[in-house]
This record gives sequence, structure tokens and C-alpha cells, in this order.
Amino acid sequence: MVQEKVRFQPFSGEPVRLIDEQGHWIAGFEHGLPPDLLRRFYRDMLAARILDEKLIILIRTGKTSFVAPHSGHEGAQVGIAHALRKGHDWLFPYYRDMGLMLAMELPLVEIFGQTLGNAADPAKGRQMPSHPGSKKLNIFSVCSAIASHIPPAAGAAISMKLRRTGQVAVCTFGDGATSEGDWHAGINFAAVQGAPAVFVCQNNRYAISVNISRQTASESIAIKAHAYGIPGYYVDGMDVLASYFVMQEAIERARAGHGASLVELVVNRFGPHSSADDDSRYRSREELAAERLHDPLVRFQRFLEKQDLWDANWANELGLEISKELEAALQEALQTGEPDPLEMFDDVFAARPWHLEEQRRLVAEELR
Amino acid sequence: MPTMTMIQAINTALDEEMSRDERVLLLGEDVGKRGGVFLATEGLQQKYGPDRVMDSPLSEAAILGAAVGLAAHGMRPVAEIQFADYVFPGIDQLFSQAAKLRYRSGGQFTAPMVVRMPTGGGVKGGHHHSQSPEAHFAHTGGLKVVVVSTPYDTKGLLKAAIRNDDPVVFLEPKRLYRATREEVPGDDYLIPIGRAAIRREGADISLISYGGPMVETQKAAEEMAAAGIDPEVIDLRTVMPWDKETVLNSAAKTGRVLMISEAPRMASVASEVTATVSEELFDQLLAPPMRVTGFDIPYPLAQDKLYMPTVTRILNAAKKLLDY
Ligand SMILES: Cc1ncc(C[n+]2csc(CCOP(=O)(O)OP(=O)(O)O)c2C)c(N)n1
Repeated sequence: MVQEKVRFQPFSGEPVRLIDEQGHWIAGFEHGLPPDLLRRFYRDMLAARILDEKLIILIRTGKTSFVAPHSGHEGAQVGIAHALRKGHDWLFPYYRDMGLMLAMELPLVEIFGQTLGNAADPAKGRQMPSHPGSKKLNIFSVCSAIASHIPPAAGAAISMKLRRTGQVAVCTFGDGATSEGDWHAGINFAAVQGAPAVFVCQNNRYAISVNISRQTASESIAIKAHAYGIPGYYVDGMDVLASYFVMQEAIERARAGHGASLVELVVNRFGPHSSADDDSRYRSREELAAERLHDPLVRFQRFLEKQDLWDANWANELGLEISKELEAALQEALQTGEPDPLEMFDDVFAARPWHLEEQRRLVAEELR
Repeated sequence: MPTMTMIQAINTALDEEMSRDERVLLLGEDVGKRGGVFLATEGLQQKYGPDRVMDSPLSEAAILGAAVGLAAHGMRPVAEIQFADYVFPGIDQLFSQAAKLRYRSGGQFTAPMVVRMPTGGGVKGGHHHSQSPEAHFAHTGGLKVVVVSTPYDTKGLLKAAIRNDDPVVFLEPKRLYRATREEVPGDDYLIPIGRAAIRREGADISLISYGGPMVETQKAAEEMAAAGIDPEVIDLRTVMPWDKETVLNSAAKTGRVLMISEAPRMASVASEVTATVSEELFDQLLAPPMRVTGFDIPYPLAQDKLYMPTVTRILNAAKKLLDY
């Protein structure tokens, strides 16, 4: 693809915003997106919201053990998913990306299989929920260790450059991740190599309980890019189209051989950090209520309404259709049953050495 | 006397040491306002202020490296690593700085610091909330390594660790945090680092364990006792330096040693202890020392329970030893 003309300036003082709170298009260019695509963005955001609710129900009913809610991140995640070339580019996600997984078209049965940790999970139930991955879709398997995936994203991008594959590595993480040494190491290497990587911070201003003011003394995350010699974009991540257009520019810039960049999508975390967290211990209910007024779905709905692309009936139908699809996939995943316990000795290496054969035999005898 | 859970014993030990010595300070992820993800430091920031209970940036290297500097400069830092599995981004600070500071400076500089970490499996934590990395630490000269198993010991050992003049890695089996309550005296008692506890005296077989699997080990011991076997149960409590004297005395008495640990077997504490028993007591043993351990694989979520030394696995191994 030819690099389109540059629309966004890095290191802006105010976050890039294309749709205001009332739903007006306030950009200096025409968005030029077909109605179907706009409605698709809405669908994906709504599906992400419904999925989040569904995962929380699975927690409450004891069917799964963990979830990292992504409500509030939907605009950012849907923007990212549509900006990259699905199945061609590589995505290095983190654990709060289940909405992104939906928008990336990770099969729903796999999403639920991973959540249930059962035989429908391509990773054989080995990882905690919210830790998906798909070789088929070039979605790198999520690792819990914060920021540990950033140097691997740099490495993959370097390979893409060396092998001239025309791919881009897109790597997502939270604001807390930016404090880890691995974050620096990976971004610096990608920058030095001029590798086609886009590092994307979904900045919800909290790392569990720790506010961003305790995380960094920098005025933004985006500005950190300056020190690495790459552009840093500061974006309103509650605006799906701002997220989409900035991501697209950064990705196509990388694809065109102009190197890595850092994108900061400022979002809200509407839920607790995870199902194991009680956020009322560190975040006032008033603060949260105020944040909830800025809902990425509502803002985009207002935008669509102004172009006659949204009405309540349509949205209701859509919600029902999505719920039905998710429920069907959940039921299908539930049918597959538990993974074979002895599978735990597979995939440690390409082939099992003697000691794993012994350990496997011990368990097999016990289970007999 | 108050009864406490392990997590309360930790909180109490920290509180007592902070009020005793103003050089003691806490740092780590979420330890301040939230009181830690397991609430080990609950209420302490309110009591001692944000300079002594510090929410650090999300960087284990920063936490552990800063602890070294704080300690070298005269403070007594207690660092919390949110899960032992997340020590790895900070391991260079622990291995290259903390462990070697005294040695490389000929004793001029020291790092008297404690690194608390929730450890072990059994909580559906998958790969990165379940590991038992004590062997890594034990294998690095210059670090002491404690693994607790009871509320009473936890208070006394944590206080001893804070007063110790060397870096101490303090591992807390997270599945035991709230598993039991026990009487924990309000007074200022210490339990010496490097000393094991005999949990049950017996004559037929020595069951040696530490940390989380003490639960299964004691259950297995009860079952054995009910079947007419008389096991001795030893809780190592410190795995570096481990209490060789207590272990060898027991092994000499029973002639049979079974070591139980949920850490992977390869190059483990269990391997070290059983090898030492073989070396030193070869001619007094009635059977070769054996091990029941975790497997040499990443910790699998789906097999959260099966991974760990089950009571059945312990009993099977004990039977082998007794039938030898
Ligand atoms: C290396 C490492 N240290 C600590 C943790 C525990 N932990 C899990 S999530 C989290 C906070 C992450 O915050 P942030 O990067 O801002 O992402 P968010 O969860 O807000 O999306 C922490 C400390 C971890 N997973 N990995």
C-alpha cells in the first residue's frame, strides 16, 4: 500500500480526537469510510461489551477462574483491529485484549475454550483465561509477565524487515508496562533497527491500584517516544475513529519502511483490574461514575445517529444477535470437555525427553 | 492469644518491625493504597505514610535494585514482588547486585533486605502465578531463602529476616495465606533462619518438606499413622542454608527419607537434600532417599491440582520406601 498523506503530528499537546463527545466529526479531513464499515466498528464494539458481561457471568457461575475486563477499551481495541491487516500482520497482545480478539475474528469457540481452559482451547487449557493466541491469525500467545512481549515484537519486526515480508508487528500493553525494563529494551531495539513495529499503549491510567502519577513523571506515554527517536502519537482512545486512523497511519508508515512508532490510546477502565480485584479500595465510586459518562460506545452511537446509521431498534436487534452467537459458541465450547491430563507433558519440547516420559508414566499410573 | 491467618501474621510482623525500627520500609507494586493484592500490607500506608510504604512503578528491577541501594545506604527495605513468577524482570538486581554486594566489596557494603514473594500453585494461576522458584535463589551464593508454612512461623521468621544482615528471599505459599488460623503470640519473638521444625516425631520414615506441600505431607503422615506406620515429619522452613543437622539426625533414626516439594525436580532443593542424605548416611539407610516433586514442565492451569504432590503420590512413594 502506498503511504497516504500524513494526517497526524506526533507529540501533540492535546490528544488526537476526531469525534467529539456529542458525536460531531471534528477532523480537518473527510473520513471517507463506507456505512457498512462504520456499522461494523459499532458491531465489534458492542460485541466486545457484551462479551465482557458474559465473561463476568462465567466468573460468577464458577465456570472460569479469571477475567480482565476490557469495558472502556472497546474503541481503542476495535480501532487497532481494523487498522492492521488481519492474518497478515502480527499482533502481540496482552491480557486485557479480549475485545481486540473478537474484532480480530478469533473464532468464538476458541475464545470460550480459552476462557474455560478446556479442550476447545488451542492452547490445551494450559494458560489462565484472558491469555489467548493463534498461530493461524498471527496473534502471538499472551504471556502474563508484563512487557515481556515487547522485545519479541521488536524481534519479529526485525525479521519482517530482513525478509521483506511487508508485514507489521503491532504490540499492545497498558500504562504500567511502560515502567518495565523490557519495554525500554524492545522499543529501543526496534527503533534503532528501523523495524516495522507499532507499540500501542492502552492507557487507562491505572496499573491495578497504582495511578499513572505514581508510574511516570512524564507528561504522557507518547512523549517517551521522543527519546527513542520515533514518533509518539497521543490519542483519545475513547474515540474509535481516532484510534483507527492514527493506528492506520502508524502501521502504514511502518509498512512503507519508515520504522517504528508509539501510539498512546487514552482510555478508561470501567471495571476492576480483574475478577480478583476490588477497585473500591483505591478508586472512588464518584471518580468511576464520572468516567463512565464518557463511554466509547455512546460517543460512536451519537456519531452514527447523526448520519442515520443508528437507531434503537437496529441496535437492540444487533445486541440480541450478538448475544445469541456468543451463547451458541459458549455451548459448543462447553461440549468439548476437559483436556486429557496427560497432555500436560506435551509441547514442553518438540519431543519428550526421558525424564518427562517417566513423569508422564507416574501420572498415567495414578490415573488408571 | 489472638489467632491469625498467615497473611495476618505477615501484616503483624511488618507492623511490629516498622514501629520498632524506623529504617524499615516497604516497597512494591500495589503495596500502598491497595495494601497489596493479597492485603499483606493492608493499613500500613495509612499508619506509616507513603514514604515508608511505597507504591513503586511496575518494575521488579526498580523494586529490587532500589532495595539494594536503600539497604546499602542504611535502610532496612522489605520489597514485595507481587508473585514469585514476576521476579524474573528483576533477577539481575537480585543475583548480580543483592547476592554479590558483600562479597564483591570484601564485606565493605552489604544489602540487608527482605524480598517477600507469594509462591507456589494450587490457586488456578496458570504459568505465571504458580511457580516455585526457590532453587534459582538457593543456587545463587549470597541469598538466604525462607519458605514458610504456618502463621506462627511466618511472624517469627519474617521478623528475623528483617533483622538479618544479608538479603533474604522470603517465600509465602499463597495457597496457605488464608488456609488456616493458629495462635500467634503478640510478643516480639524470632525464629532463627536456618532451623527446621520437627512437626511430628516418628521412627519409621522421615517425611521432609517445606512450604505449601507441608499440608499434603502432614495429611499423608496422618494416614500412615492410622495404618500403623510411625512417620517423622520435618518442615525445613529455610531452604538456604537448610538444616542439615536436623535432617541427618532424623534420617539416621528412621533410615528412610522421603522429600516432598512442589518445585520442579531437576536441580531442586529436594535433589540437594536427598543427595546429601545419601552421601553422608549411605551405610545407615534402609532404602535410597526418594523424592516426590512437581514436574519439569511449565505449570499448567488445567492440571492445577494434579501438578502438585498429591497425598496419594506421597503415600505411594512412602510405600516404596517402606517395602524396599
Ligand atoms: C512482570 C510482572 N509484574 C507484575 C505483574 C502483576 N500485574 C498484573 S497486571 C498488573 C498491572 C498492569 O497494569 P497496566 O500495564 O497499566 O495494564 P492494565 O492492566 O491497566 O490494562 C500487574 C502489576 C505481572 N503480570 N507481570
